[in-house]
Order: sequence, then structure tokens, then C-alpha cells
Amino acid sequence: MELKEQLTGISESAGHLLPELVLILSLIISLVLGLILKKNKQTILNAVSIVTYLISFLLIIQTWPHQPVSLFGGMMRLDDFSAFFKLLFFLGGFLTILISKQKEETASEYIILINAILLGACLLAMSMNFVMLLLSLELISLPSYMLAGFAFDRKSAEGSLKYFLFGTVATACMIYGISLIYGLTSTLDFSSNQFIESLIDSKAPLLFVASFLILAGLLFKIAAVPFHLWAPDVYESAPTPVVAFLSVVPKLAGLAIFIKMVLALNLFGQSALPWSMIVAIVAILSIVIGNLSALAQTNPKRMLAYSSIAQSGFLLIGLATMSMEGIHFMMFYAVIFLIMNFLVFSVLHQFENSINIQSVNNFTGLGRLSIFPAFVLLIGMISLTGLPPTAGFTAKLLIFSSLWTGYQDSQSVVLLVLFGVGLINTVIALFYYLKIPYLLFLKEPVSGSVAIKNSFPRNLFHLILVMLLIYLFLLPGGLMGWINQITFVL
Amino acid sequence: MYLLSLLIFIPIGTALLVLLVPSRFGRSFRSVALGVNIVQVIILLLILSQYSYEGGFQLIEKIPWISIDLGAWGVLQAEYFVALDGLSLSMVALSVFILLIATISSWTIEKNRKGYFVLLLILNGAIFGSFCALDFLLFYVFFEFMLLPMYFLIGIWGGVKREYASIKFFLYTLLGSILILIVIVALYISVQTPEASDRIVHTFNVLHMQDLNNLIPDSLLALDSLKLIGSFSFRYWAFLLLFVGFIIKLPAVPFHTWLPDAHVEAPTPISVILAALLLKFGGYGLLRFAYPIFPDAAIHFSWFVGLIGLISIIYGALNALSSKDLKRLIAYSSVSHMGFVLLGIASATVEGITGAMYQMFSHGIISAMLFLIAGVLYDRTGDRMIENYSGLASKMRNYSAFVLIAFFASMGLPGFAGFMGEVMIFFGAFRSSAVNGLIPTWMAITATGGLLLGAAYYLWTIQRMFYGPFAAKNVTADLTDLNNREYSMLLPLALAVLVFGILPQLLLNYINPFASEFVNNLFQSGNPLTP
Repeated sequence: MELKEQLTGISESAGHLLPELVLILSLIISLVLGLILKKNKQTILNAVSIVTYLISFLLIIQTWPHQPVSLFGGMMRLDDFSAFFKLLFFLGGFLTILISKQKEETASEYIILINAILLGACLLAMSMNFVMLLLSLELISLPSYMLAGFAFDRKSAEGSLKYFLFGTVATACMIYGISLIYGLTSTLDFSSNQFIESLIDSKAPLLFVASFLILAGLLFKIAAVPFHLWAPDVYESAPTPVVAFLSVVPKLAGLAIFIKMVLALNLFGQSALPWSMIVAIVAILSIVIGNLSALAQTNPKRMLAYSSIAQSGFLLIGLATMSMEGIHFMMFYAVIFLIMNFLVFSVLHQFENSINIQSVNNFTGLGRLSIFPAFVLLIGMISLTGLPPTAGFTAKLLIFSSLWTGYQDSQSVVLLVLFGVGLINTVIALFYYLKIPYLLFLKEPVSGSVAIKNSFPRNLFHLILVMLLIYLFLLPGGLMGWINQITFVL
Repeated sequence: MYLLSLLIFIPIGTALLVLLVPSRFGRSFRSVALGVNIVQVIILLLILSQYSYEGGFQLIEKIPWISIDLGAWGVLQAEYFVALDGLSLSMVALSVFILLIATISSWTIEKNRKGYFVLLLILNGAIFGSFCALDFLLFYVFFEFMLLPMYFLIGIWGGVKREYASIKFFLYTLLGSILILIVIVALYISVQTPEASDRIVHTFNVLHMQDLNNLIPDSLLALDSLKLIGSFSFRYWAFLLLFVGFIIKLPAVPFHTWLPDAHVEAPTPISVILAALLLKFGGYGLLRFAYPIFPDAAIHFSWFVGLIGLISIIYGALNALSSKDLKRLIAYSSVSHMGFVLLGIASATVEGITGAMYQMFSHGIISAMLFLIAGVLYDRTGDRMIENYSGLASKMRNYSAFVLIAFFASMGLPGFAGFMGEVMIFFGAFRSSAVNGLIPTWMAITATGGLLLGAAYYLWTIQRMFYGPFAAKNVTADLTDLNNREYSMLLPLALAVLVFGILPQLLLNYINPFASEFVNNLFQSGNPLTP
């Protein structure tokens, strides 16, 4: 390719990346402001990033629907699928800023790290090339390690270090896998014909090892079994708003690229490996191990870490069917997951400001004293369990519908097992999801406990999220209809 | 007129309004709840005046609710679809009556009145929603909606072991409803609307599900689907899942263990609602969903259904016989009486089905009365152990009269409401082997043992607690006779027990058309399919 063509290609591609460019600009502004501002740092920086996210959000909405375009010579592709996930990332960033409260001296670093992760997530969702994938994945990972240590205590540092060690090993595995795949296909573009053609003929064992190594890195980001071990430690020790952020944005980014990757490796069903079955097994393991481990936890954040592992399993169900509809339902689930996760973590954060939430026992009887936060927590937990009248039920209903249809079409027994295991696990999940509401409402308050600090904006914020969950339960048709229009070809 | 919607949403709307009222208006909440109940009585009278005896669905309200495009799979469609037929009308009438009594019985609740009555109102709406819904998804939503209020009502206002009992209740019931949900998902994907359309419209409409012509060919629940798991087809498995899901609620042995705990720990009004209304969803679900949707499987498994019923009758009665706690005794007698419902349904004769519905209705009234009676004693003494009392009849004369009425009615003596249901169930069960050969005569014969045991544990209890010289161990409180509030609950119930025992036509007029239609449909669509 001529240099001139390349340059025009780059300049044209850049035009499609306006939301990301705005984000980078905001990142630089935050950096500079962090250096020069003396007071009110946090308020100003929060305002800057909220405005940024809104602009980026609107820029994506405004160009909807996207004609799929290949950017930077096949490094990335912008289509409705990736744009949908980008919307979710900006929404997640927006909610995180709303619930975060930082010390003045670290406020700008905090915002910068969040922005960097958002940028990495956006790029990751668009990646079509192994190099791009790796770079954007690291752009998510490195700031995540730092954010995990943002409580600045011993425990938090330990969590951060654990996260870092696991993370680097996962990345190393992934690079090794990529090198093997590159050897098999001699291309780094996993959407190209060359990639598909050379893999169809390749021998299964090596391909299996290579694909497994690559997926290991992604499953690590999603926190799915067997690469989930970091999650409980990080969730327990990191600041709660950071946990809310980490449990949604990197997870969904990992999920977006995981879908692309599995579909690519599936080779339109011509792969020698049973990908549907592999994903289903990962989903079963995540659901079962996540739920059973959560039962034993007494630290609420640790419990939610295992719950989030189980939720990864539920999200993966959509992919296990290898159908467009399944992926659509998974995207619906992702939206609901984002809302309910932020709701739960935000309420926990509210409790955290008044009581020590290291143990669920500290919630004993507080439901009588602070009825609204307790009620909100109850709704969040019910939604995570998947009971009506919350959108968590609708999401589960749809995703299990896709599973049944998938079974009907493929007659694959593992899908039927996943169907049974998934639904029965709802009962197990209820046991621990109800643990905190149980203590809140059913136990008498211990003497000396007082109502937690109420703040009107925070309550209003929760009320809006609760209303959203109930609205999407009553009328899911609008959101689902919109998601259905997202076509997505590899 | 939207009578049914009013019935469902007035309590829920009121509950939301009450939430906004500060809790210092403690005493007014119960009046609000009572007001809602009185409005519901008026609505019921309006419904009865519009309802005609001919049967079929009436007072239909149907509004599209959820419509989701599933891409290549067609369209998912759920409706807000409520209507009444003989089955649901009898249950709705029972619910209006019992919920009114329950509110009066809640009059003395002191602890956190606002929360209590909000939950009670939500439960109220959900009960009517479940009985009226003819869309499976809508039914399921209301059905689940009953769980949480019930959990908190038992868990906060219950007895000593309330936390254990409430979580046990919740887990059992949720397990049951998950089994039902599995079938719902499988069903709606396998069923399409009969209206011609260029895309497949998957529907939750129960009436469409009952018409076997609407099954999508090649789906796993299609009649000719050859796919088996073990030795059963998917249709048989689906029926079994629904069956287990509903008999957990009924409850039948071996899924009954949550019931004694929940009953013993629940406060009196909640026990009343639990026994009189929530248990009915077991029988209701079988008659409304499991049997009509899977007639072939229902006929195939009727022997098994009858057997479970029989075991519940005998096992429940034996447990009642050995119970030391009065409330536990009543709870086990419920298990036994619900076994009769299963037996009647399994016989699949018009008499059996009518009897099962009559039994559900009469058990609703009688068990409410029984739990109120246990509550009266518990309110005075805080003790329900049978062995601690004797000679109560000499101390609490009028109370003992009501106890006798309730016990005799529950025993199934002629002239009381319990008699009609049981005698028709026996007609059906004995006739079944001659008419359709579904359940053998020995089951019916053995089931009569349940009646004998019933007489035994009630008479023995009367003898122990009410006859002989007066004594009350560990009790210091003064045993006064009934007060006005208690009369206002027990008197109407006792009257209803007598009226429906002497004039069964009042109820039969409504439920008989349903039963004959039910049996007709069952054999018309189910028989050709069974070899």
C-alpha cells in the first residue's frame, strides 16, 4: 500500500473514532487540570468527565445505525455490535463517577484511570486483529490493577498485587496462544478469509491448545471459571465504586471480544472443536462454582464477587447457543446486569459510609432503621436472583428461551444440562442473595445501631435505577426491539 | 367494567399509596386494609350478578402486554389476559371472604403496622392476579409475587422459629416455581397462536396452549416428537415437572415438610391465608394448567397422581394423630385433606373433579376457622400444646361450640361443607375403574381410612382438651370466652360451613359446568394419544 493511501486511510478512520478522541482529549484535560487546580479538584474533574461521557454517548447515538466499516487497515471494525457495547461502557463510566467519592489528592489519577479503562474497553470491543486486541486489553488491565489498590491500605495493595500477578500470567498465556495461532494461519486478522481457511484444515490438538490459551486471557477478564480466582480478593479489598466499575466495564468488554473470538474460532460451524459445548461447560462451571462458593461467604463484597462469577456464566449462556438471537438476549442481559450491579454496589457503598460492612452480620436489623436503602438493596438482590417483578427475571427468561431453542435445534445434551443447572441454581442463589435482606428485615436491631446516613441525591439515584429495573420488566419490548436490529457479521 | 382488574389492582395501588404515609398513623392502616376488603366484597357481588351459570370464560379482559421480536424465531407475545370460569370464580369468591376475615384477625397486630398491612395488601392483589390470569407468564409473575410478602409476613411477625420457617417456605416454594418456569419456557417456544400470520407468534396464552393443534410441528413438546429422556417423552417430563411444582404448593407427601413449620410459626391471620388460599394454588394449577395442557400425560400418570394423593391422605392423618401441638395437628390435617383433592383429580370423572373443587372451597373455609380457633387459644395463653389443657368446655363454652363445628366439618360429617367434597371425591374414585379405568378401586377403599383417622384425631383432641375437669398447665392467664371481634370472624365462617353443607347447589351451579367440560376435553384430546 502506498504511503499516501495509508495516510488517507488513517485520517478517514480517525473520523469514525470521534467518541474515543473526545475521551482521549478529556483524559489529557483531566491530567492537566489535576496538576494546576488547587481546590474543588474533584467537583470540576467529575463534571468534565460526565460531560465527556455524555458527548461520547450522544456521538455514538447520533451515528446510529452504523454501516460496518473497517478502520486502520483492518485493525478494528466499527459496527452496531461494538457501538452497543461502547454505549454500555460510557453508561458504566457515568454511573461510576456518580457514586465515587475520592480524596482531593487522588481525584485526578482516579478519573484518568477510569478514562483509560473506558478507552481500552471501546477499542477492545472494536478489535479485529490480535495485536489490537492485546494492546487494548492491556490498556484495560494496567489501570485496573492500579484502581484495585485505590483504598491505599495493606489489604487493597494485596488485592491489587494478586490481580496484577494473575493478570500478567493470563496475558502471557494469551500471547503464547496468539503466537501459536499465528504460526498456524500466518495472519493476525481473525476475521480474514485466510484465518478461516487455514484453520479449517488444521489439526485439532494444537488448535485446541492455542485457542484455549487465548480464551484463557479473555475468560480472566470476564471472571469466568476456571479463571475467576482473582475476583473475590479484588472485590473484597478494592473501594466499592471501583468494584462496581470493574465488575461491569472490563467484564462486558471481555465478553464482547470473547463473542467475536469464539465465533471466529467456530469457523461458521466448520471447526473441529465443539465450541458450543465448550462455552456451555464454562457457563455451567461458572454458575455452579460461583453460586456454591457464594453460599459460604460472610463478607458481602466477596459474596458479590462470586455472584458476579455466576452472572458471567448466565451471560455466556447466550453465546453457548451460537445463534444471533442468543447473542441478542445476552446483550439484553448485559444491560440489565449493568443496572442491577450498579444498584447493589451503590447501596452497599451507602451502607459502607456508616457501618463496617466487612461482615453481613453488621447489617442486622438496620432495615427497620433505614427502610429505603434496605428496600433498594432488596430489589437489587431480587433482580440478581431473577425474580419478578424486576428486569432480572425478563433477562433470565429470554436467555433461557434461547437455550431451549438452541437445544431444540441442535439436540446437544450439554445445553439441556445447562438449562436445568441454570434454573435450579436460581434457588441456590436466592439463599445467599437474600442473606443481607434477611438480616436487614427479619432480625431485631442490635442495641446501639443507628440509621445509616441518608442523602437525598443518592436515594434519588437509587430510585431511578429501581424504576428502570421495574420498567424494563413491564415493557421490555422497546429495548429488545432496538437490540434486535443490531446485525452483526464477523 | 374491568371488574377483575379492579379486584387485582385496588389492593396493590392502595399498598403503594400507604407506603407514602408516615408510619405514625399506626392505627389507620388496618382501617384502610379493611376498606379495601369491603370494596372487594362489593366487586365480588357485582361479578356474581354479571356471571351466568352456563360456564366458559366470562368477564374477559385482554390487553397486549409484552411483544418481543425474536428475530428468526418469530415473536414472543404475552398478554394481560384475565377472565373467570367456574374454577376461578369459586376461588376468587373464597379469597374475598377469607382475606376479609384475615384483615379482621390482624386487628391486634402491634408490631410495625404499616409494613404488615402493606405486605398484606400486596399479597391480596397477587392472590387475585394468580387466580384470574389466563396467560401463563402473567400467572407466573403474580404467583412469584406472593412469595416475598409471605416470606416477610412469616419471618417478621411469626413465632419463635420464624426465621427458619420462612426461609424453608421460600426455598420450597421457589423450587416449585422454578420447575414450573422450566415448563413455561419450553411451552411457549413450542406453541404458536392459531391466527394466520407470516411469522410464528409464540404465545403464553393458556387457552392456546390447551389446544393441541397449536403445537408447532417438530418442537420438542409436539405430540409426535420421538425424542426421549430416559423412557419418557418431553411431554411426559413437562407434565411431571408441572405436577411436582404444583404439589409442592398443595402440599402432598413427600414435599409437605415446609407446611407444618410455616403454619406453626406464622401469625394467625397468615396461617389462615396460607391454609385457606395459598394451598389452593396446588389444586388450581393442576386443574388449570397441568391437566388441560398435557392431557395425554395426565391420563398416563393418573395412577401415580392417585397414589400420591392416597399417601398424603393416610400419612397426613397419621401425623396429625401424633401431633402434640394444636396448630401442627391442623397443618397435617390440611395435608390429608389436600390428598383428597389429588385423588379426585386423578379419577378424572365429573364427580371427582367437582368434588376436588368443592373440597378446595370447603377446606378453605374450614381451615380458616380451625386456625382462628387455634389462634384464639394462643392469644390468651401463648401455649398450643394439646396435653396442657383439659376441660376447656366448662370454661369457654361458646368457644367450644365453634371448635366442635369446625372439627365436625373438617371430619366430613354430613350437613357440613366438608362432607359434600369428600363424598363426591369418593363417588368419582369408586366409579373411575368402571368408567375410565384410571385409578383402581383399592385406592378409593384405602382412602376411606383417611376419614376414620380424621375422626380419630379430632375426637381424641376434643376429648383431651375440652372434656373432663378443667385444667391448664403452665397457664396463668385468665381464660375468657370469645370477644366480639372473634365472634365477627367465627360466626360468618361457621354459617358458611353450614350453608355450603346444606345447600351445595350454591356452589355446584358454578363448578359443575367447568367439571364436565374439563373431563370432556381431557378425554377428547388426551385419549386418542394414549395407547
